[in-house]
Amino acid sequence: MNWLDTLAEASVRSMAQRTSRRSLLASLGALLVGTAALPLLPVARGAEPPQKGAAPNGEADDKAAAKAAALQDPQSCDYWRHCAIDGYLCGCCGGSQHSCPPGTEMSPVTWVGTCHNPADGLDYVVSYNDCCGKSTCGRCLCNRNERDTPIYIPFQSNDYNWCSGSSKGNLAYHCSTARIVGQAR
Amino acid sequence: MGCPHLCTVWASAIAALAASAAMAAAPLPADSLSQVESLPLPPAPHWVWVNDFAFSHMTNGKAMLVDGDSGHFLGELDTGFGAVRIVLSSDGALIYSPETYFSRGTRGTRTDVVTVYDAARLAPVGEIEIPPKRSSNMPMMANALLTDDGRFLLIYNFTPAQSISVVDTRARTFVGEIDTPGCALAYPTGPRAFFSLCADGALLKVRLDDSGRGVGQERTAPLFDVQTDPVTEKAVRRGDTWYFVSYGGTIHSVLIGKDGADLTAGPHWSLTSDSERAQEWRPGGLQQLAVHAGLNRLYAIMHRGGPETHKDPGREVWVYDLDRHARVQKITMQHDSGSILVSRDAKPLLFSIFIESNILDVYDAASGRHLRTVADIGTTPTIMVSP
Amino acid sequence: MRSALLMLLACTLATAVRAYEPAVNYMLQCMGCHTPDGSGEPGRVPSLRDTVLPFARLPAGRRYIVQVPGAAQSTLSDAELAALLNWMIVELGRATPQAFAPFTGTEVAQYRRTPLTDVRSERERLLALTH
Repeated sequence: MNWLDTLAEASVRSMAQRTSRRSLLASLGALLVGTAALPLLPVARGAEPPQKGAAPNGEADDKAAAKAAALQDPQSCDYWRHCAIDGYLCGCCGGSQHSCPPGTEMSPVTWVGTCHNPADGLDYVVSYNDCCGKSTCGRCLCNRNERDTPIYIPFQSNDYNWCSGSSKGNLAYHCSTARIVGQAR
Repeated sequence: MGCPHLCTVWASAIAALAASAAMAAAPLPADSLSQVESLPLPPAPHWVWVNDFAFSHMTNGKAMLVDGDSGHFLGELDTGFGAVRIVLSSDGALIYSPETYFSRGTRGTRTDVVTVYDAARLAPVGEIEIPPKRSSNMPMMANALLTDDGRFLLIYNFTPAQSISVVDTRARTFVGEIDTPGCALAYPTGPRAFFSLCADGALLKVRLDDSGRGVGQERTAPLFDVQTDPVTEKAVRRGDTWYFVSYGGTIHSVLIGKDGADLTAGPHWSLTSDSERAQEWRPGGLQQLAVHAGLNRLYAIMHRGGPETHKDPGREVWVYDLDRHARVQKITMQHDSGSILVSRDAKPLLFSIFIESNILDVYDAASGRHLRTVADIGTTPTIMVSP
Repeated sequence: MRSALLMLLACTLATAVRAYEPAVNYMLQCMGCHTPDGSGEPGRVPSLRDTVLPFARLPAGRRYIVQVPGAAQSTLSDAELAALLNWMIVELGRATPQAFAPFTGTEVAQYRRTPLTDVRSERERLLALTH
């Protein structure tokens, strides 16, 4: 899939690079099928059958391996749980995908996404509780919009600053977690 | 040998003496202290305000004013935490800005206000306190809009309970809050009417009395299918029509009837042909549509991508005739475009920014010709307004 | 090869649009604001825990539970919404199944066409009746 990387790496700014790679990655399945009527859950690279005629070479294998690793790396924007996240990853800010950095408060109100975990083949409801009360962390910006809804459908919209619900009235948005709430079945 | 060199030296010395004599005659005067610029009023139609919610340092929200013709930066307003947008008064003399402040920067007591700025001096001349519930979200035009007569400012609240705060700009008072459960934002449709967008695709029509209090609410039937192809919030208005666009690029128009209270679904039409849709052309961005009433044109930022790319920028702006619902032009953008605005005058400019960049591009809106790029406009510029 | 890939993706698509269990529908449609245990946020988001069972025992309360915009406007079918409400009353309202008449899709359909606009007053009225 060298063309994917070539297109992605053509973007100059690192944030745009992440955006374009994510968009291309998410659209990959649709492009292969030829139509895109419905949003796809991210299909794991590992789950795809090998493509006939694709000549394996060291570089392509390395890149595929890197992408598979990113899908399981909580500090990567491509991490499987991040399919509908918008903001800075708490794991890069002193917290983790399920905990807040010191001195911040986890907002109880939040948006959710349904993301596919390629490692076990299951779908999960992921809750992106924000950590609030400090200025934005500024590290590991990540925005993906799988099944994201407009703000008039709030509970699956990542466009709100969900720190507005935190009990102390804190509104300062610091970072976002990606907590598993349950299996989506 | 000797003489040419000496002559050159002497010539230089004489020239220098002459020059210094000339300089000594008229030194530059000192500049006076406290010279502060002021803007002419009414604002020029080719001016553009760029809002910046400063995502990496949200206490430092701003609105920055650029002259689209000269490319000059004319001034700015500091608009507080998570700034969404400023609102220009109808006569251009004042600017209203819903703002949020914490007593200790990013913590402490939250206060929300509408600051009133003098549009010539770009300095505050008043402040109206509002409930500290102003929705903090990716900026949308419909977060704060004036009723059609310019009197009442409608501000969307989200706590996550949803309501609209009404501010009387004439009296400079907060009138009250109108509950709009299950519905978001405020799209004015008359001097005393607006609608909110509801989670099932219906519109909630709200009427105000003459003091700005809510006096009636009524829901329409759903106008579009939220499951398969929801419209975005990023509608634009031309006269008595609000134009919404869906993730898939279908325009859904909402027609405003008499007095602004009647709403009906107008025609819907697609921005793309079947083959373009098959190639996944779709609109994207943050302020993804623009209109020009005089030219009768709709502008849309377009890119190729899957349904989850409805917020992605594009490198093309496609232009449509609003009577024929047909595309008449494609404008190639110099840089990624996430937000566009077309000035309202007879020789309009097309402005373009992108939240992950800090340049403003200016084009001739009729020909599509790129005119200039202005650098250093904020850090995460979001949406634009113009007079 | 291509057809195998198409089948894989078709299965994924089917996964993406199938109906979820009530507990999962709660997570997707309600939990974000009403919180995982339904207690909400005082002053901002109403509690479900304290109200779903008492409301379900009143005709006006049953209408309210369906007509409140979060329920009425959701993308769930009438049957799915009924199943979700019944789940909420048992799991969040801590009711035994015998303690209330379960909702059916038919009953939900009756009320659902007219979502409430004045939610606040109706809720206050029902709270006064039930508490």
